[in-house]
Amino acid sequence: MIWQLDLLLLTLLFACAVVAVTVRSMIATVAVLAAFSLFVALLFAGMGAPDVAFVEAVLGSAFVGVLLLVAVLVTGDRAAGRDRRAVLIAGPLVLVFAGLLLFASVDLPDRGDPTAPGHQGVARSYTERSLIDSETPNVVTAVLADYRSMDTLGETLVVFTAALSVTLVLHVRRRSDRPIREEEST
Amino acid sequence: MIGRHPSENVRVVSALAMPFVLVFGVYVIAHGHYGPGGGFAGGVVLAVGVVLARLTVDREIVDRCVPEWTAIVAMFIGMGLFLLSAIVPLFTGGALLDYAAVPIESLTESRRRYLGILVVEFGVGAVVFGGILLIFDRLSAIAQEQLR
Repeated sequence: MIWQLDLLLLTLLFACAVVAVTVRSMIATVAVLAAFSLFVALLFAGMGAPDVAFVEAVLGSAFVGVLLLVAVLVTGDRAAGRDRRAVLIAGPLVLVFAGLLLFASVDLPDRGDPTAPGHQGVARSYTERSLIDSETPNVVTAVLADYRSMDTLGETLVVFTAALSVTLVLHVRRRSDRPIREEEST
Repeated sequence: MIGRHPSENVRVVSALAMPFVLVFGVYVIAHGHYGPGGGFAGGVVLAVGVVLARLTVDREIVDRCVPEWTAIVAMFIGMGLFLLSAIVPLFTGGALLDYAAVPIESLTESRRRYLGILVVEFGVGAVVFGGILLIFDRLSAIAQEQLR
């Protein structure tokens, strides 16, 4: 990837993160977070991972934006006041962990390095055999839906149960609201 | 914000855009073999198409195209498709999720896997579409009740 583009996207991401935290209106925060997701998607696309970029753009930018907007409609546009002491505790912690991550990233192999440990195991046979085994040129799809379909089955079950339980939780809250209102009015 | 938008331009444009977004969602699911995308991304695109209409067009009109029960029905159909494609190979002498074990004589082994992947992708797409739409519907119902 072109390093100038990398640097530009990184700067934009950093600016988005800072604006999202500092801005007062919650709706503005949601909009900035959607922009953040879009820049992350561009970063993924630049790294040669269009599948991940696609999901990030569609889910992170479009849908989570809409979901958070509706949530803001429910809870109100007021941002909670910031606690100065929280910054004193959280600031050093964030710096320490950012430092740890940067320190660990020094040892990571280069992106796309064929001798990296991650590319030595089954990954090689997946990329070589996906077209022969399942006539699927997109290796990501072959891995997700064929070689590793058990994981995808688990993931889909998680999405299924999560959606059902979210529905149940939100439904209960709506019903329990009603009798209280009726009592107040009578 | 949810329901009929005051501006007619917004209503007409989003009503016109919705079917194209839905077709693109199906395309993304079905095209997962050859390009980026697949069940997950396609399902989200499908759901976003319906959410766009729910946000801007009159509720009665959207409900005529996509009734409220669509979300939960799609979820169960998708999960059923996936579980079926997982269990059917077991009965025909293969392992769990081994699509090639389904005996269809006219197809080569790789072609059977190809079609199995397609079924699984549509299952995942339906589950994701239904799940997202369900969560949005519940949240927007609460929002509308509070705004009232």
